[in-house]
Amino acid sequence: MVRTASVSRVRHRSVGETRRRRSALGLLLVGALLLSGCAGSRIALERKAAAQADRGNDGAMIQQLRLPAESDASVNGLVNYNPYAPKQLTRSWIYEPLMIQNGSTCEITPWLATGYRWDANNLTFTIRQGVKWSDGQDLTPADVAFTLNLMKKYPAIDKAGIWNETYGAPATEVTVAGNDVTIHFSGPAATKFPGMVLNNAVVILPEHVYGKAGDPATFVDKTPVGTGPFTVGSYNGRRLELERNPTYWQADKVKVQKLVLEGTYDAQQAASKLAAGELDAYFGEIPNPEKTFVEKDPANNHFWYGAAGSTVLTMNLMQKPFDDVKFRQAVSLAMDKQQMSLKATYGIMAPASQSGLRLPVVKDMLPAQYAAADGAQTVLPYDPGQGNQILDAAGYAKGADGFRTNTDGSPLAVNFSVQAGYIDYQATADVVVAGLKALGLNASVTQSSPDAVDQQKKSGEFQILFEYLAGGCDFVRGLGSKIDTTQIPKPDTVLSNVERFSDPAVDKTLSDLGVVTNDGQRKALVGKLVDVMMTQYPVTPLIYAPARIVYSTRNAVGWPNAEDPYAFADSDRLIVLTHLSGS
Amino acid sequence: MKYFVRKIGFFLLTLWAVVTLNFLIPRLQPGDPAEKLLRNLAGKNAQIDPSQIQALRTMLGVPDGSLISQYWQYLGSLVRGNFGVSYTYYPFSVIEVISKALPWTLVLVTIVYVISFVVGVVLGAFAAWKRNTRFDSVVTIGSTFVGTLNPFWIALILLSVFAYGLGWFPSDGGYSEATPGFTWSFAYDVISHAALPAVTLLIVTPIGWILGMRNTMVLNLGDDYIRLAKAKGLPNRTVALKYAARNALLPSITGFAIALGSVLGGAILVENAFDYPGLGRLMGEAVENKDYPLLQALMLLTTVATLTANLIADLLYGVLDPRARKVDA
Repeated sequence: MVRTASVSRVRHRSVGETRRRRSALGLLLVGALLLSGCAGSRIALERKAAAQADRGNDGAMIQQLRLPAESDASVNGLVNYNPYAPKQLTRSWIYEPLMIQNGSTCEITPWLATGYRWDANNLTFTIRQGVKWSDGQDLTPADVAFTLNLMKKYPAIDKAGIWNETYGAPATEVTVAGNDVTIHFSGPAATKFPGMVLNNAVVILPEHVYGKAGDPATFVDKTPVGTGPFTVGSYNGRRLELERNPTYWQADKVKVQKLVLEGTYDAQQAASKLAAGELDAYFGEIPNPEKTFVEKDPANNHFWYGAAGSTVLTMNLMQKPFDDVKFRQAVSLAMDKQQMSLKATYGIMAPASQSGLRLPVVKDMLPAQYAAADGAQTVLPYDPGQGNQILDAAGYAKGADGFRTNTDGSPLAVNFSVQAGYIDYQATADVVVAGLKALGLNASVTQSSPDAVDQQKKSGEFQILFEYLAGGCDFVRGLGSKIDTTQIPKPDTVLSNVERFSDPAVDKTLSDLGVVTNDGQRKALVGKLVDVMMTQYPVTPLIYAPARIVYSTRNAVGWPNAEDPYAFADSDRLIVLTHLSGS
Repeated sequence: MKYFVRKIGFFLLTLWAVVTLNFLIPRLQPGDPAEKLLRNLAGKNAQIDPSQIQALRTMLGVPDGSLISQYWQYLGSLVRGNFGVSYTYYPFSVIEVISKALPWTLVLVTIVYVISFVVGVVLGAFAAWKRNTRFDSVVTIGSTFVGTLNPFWIALILLSVFAYGLGWFPSDGGYSEATPGFTWSFAYDVISHAALPAVTLLIVTPIGWILGMRNTMVLNLGDDYIRLAKAKGLPNRTVALKYAARNALLPSITGFAIALGSVLGGAILVENAFDYPGLGRLMGEAVENKDYPLLQALMLLTTVATLTANLIADLLYGVLDPRARKVDA
């Protein structure tokens, strides 16, 4: 009896791998069709649509737009629209934020607030007038103050960390004056703002509903009252149909009559649904979309994998020989990024700049010495010869077995931990190891479960691994957090500074950056961070990591793409919606 | 009486062991529920904001305190029937979540279970009766071969041929267009979605019964009462069905209970492959998200179901076959 039970338990444990295994098989099938692909195919129609959108979207209506479900929950029929729950049926279309900073161009679009200003440590939002809740009541500044105060009372919904110490001083109170809502902070808190305008971290709730709801974290919101472009039409436990909100405050920009959200698809399912016209856009990964999707109908099928950040090689700076900047420089020169791009992304994602910035999108932030040719020189060339020279000069002599030793002559073996099942990481890892071997290093790869790798990040018991470097619009939370002493992981929390870089001068730069609101000063400080990346090699950016959209223009046009990267399709859905129109 | 007391005592001891393992195993694995949940929501290429982790930890109330005190709390709430709140489906309780998923698995497993029992027993009996014929070798060797296949692998093959290739069946979910209710269109929708998962399980699950039934019946066929029946000139049909098969069925009935575990195990893999909205898929999700409360309740449910089925089989066996009681006593 016990035996039967334990056998089934062992099987349960392998289930976590099964979805990944399935996508691995999908990739194999796709791989069989592989030819090299090149990014993007666009058509004039789209450009026209984008131009229209800039004028205020006077395009044709779209009867029905079909997107994947926003909740990946496998259980059907649990209805909750509470925007602060970990999962809700839709997170984009009912409740709205004050402002939206899109991840692509970093432009800040006013939403429920028409503007914001800093005045010492006080952040003031001017609330838009004429916005109505879907039950007909007016949105008032009191609703905004209510929502912000709710976060104070219930820290569980304070996703932007307004009332606590993360990234700046905590808020002390919220005041309302006319249409202005002001958050008073107890100290410099400039970095709180980018956190509030990103990823729907702060969305405004109706006081007349949530005021009576008690704890907003446990409240099950079955009949949402929002300000958003859609209201709930029907939900059959699986398929959510949203209807256009005719009283929406910018209804003239919304051309989608009905929005259908259904299904969580893997790459293979998504590709076939897109091709069959059963889906208009997909935001997950489809390997080699040029071959598997675009070629089937080049006029209508498109994709855009924009650079959202980069995959960075992360060496443990607490260990020899990675604490030696010469060693890190040599390794950085031995990374064949072109090859990684081909092997891991079919050549779609370009080699990343050592500066840690997303180039050429934010090239304006590069300091003068790196700015030539949009920072082309910051993308380090593949030059193992020079890497070898650096290692020779630094005293990493070759031992009897032909491998390099430490400078004190002790044997040196480099082990690389890669997340099993992350196919692109695994492909990149092979190229990394080839590069390390080209330097004469005794290098190997260990595949571990992503959980185990996360554990290594927390404990610091690793030599080399891959990390993600956010290309975010805010340089304290993005690039800065990678080299910030306070962002070194704790035993129970993964933080960004996995390599454990620590330099008081950098910390000073970052705390200055958290205070300045002047663009010139900001650029000078970011320039210092770039200089650290270029000379200290805290991490080595390899290839850009994508924010994806794979879409069809048969039904709707105006999607963001490489030529008009006005927003990231997945994270900035509200912005994208106002650009869409019928084809 | 002693026999029953002992069986029930053993049941309770195993139950305690299962409950304790349920508590320990999820906690021995690395990973933090709040981080996992955010990671799964954001995708692997996303920086997780420390303030979001902090908020989510506050929300979920991820347990702290020593393992021992957590264990006592856990036992206490189990006794009160309180399984807590799911992390993945916060703020819904584990009971609510499971009650939504349970019917799907129950229907799938029951149908598969009954069909495979009938098919397995009939095929096994027939193979034994026609032993050493071509039919027997095909069935025996074929089922031994198929038995080694992983249901997950079979699921992938069926998916790529019948769902992606030919497009005869939907590839994922329990239903799609129709609104749930007792209507023909909904029933059709459900059946077309359940067809591939059921077929996958039906390829694997009858194997045990085929081989078990065949072997017991081959033994029985060598017994004297069969020879007597044949000597009496009874028709072959009667000898095969009423004499041999009937007696060979007894061990299969206890096997019916024991096989529950393996059918549930297979259902977990298959539901994950087809994104079928049942308990198996839910369990996969709970593992992925480190959803301890949900995982514990699910593992408890499946193991208790298996254990109870076994207990009932044991007790029934005691009733059906007095020798079992005597030998033990």
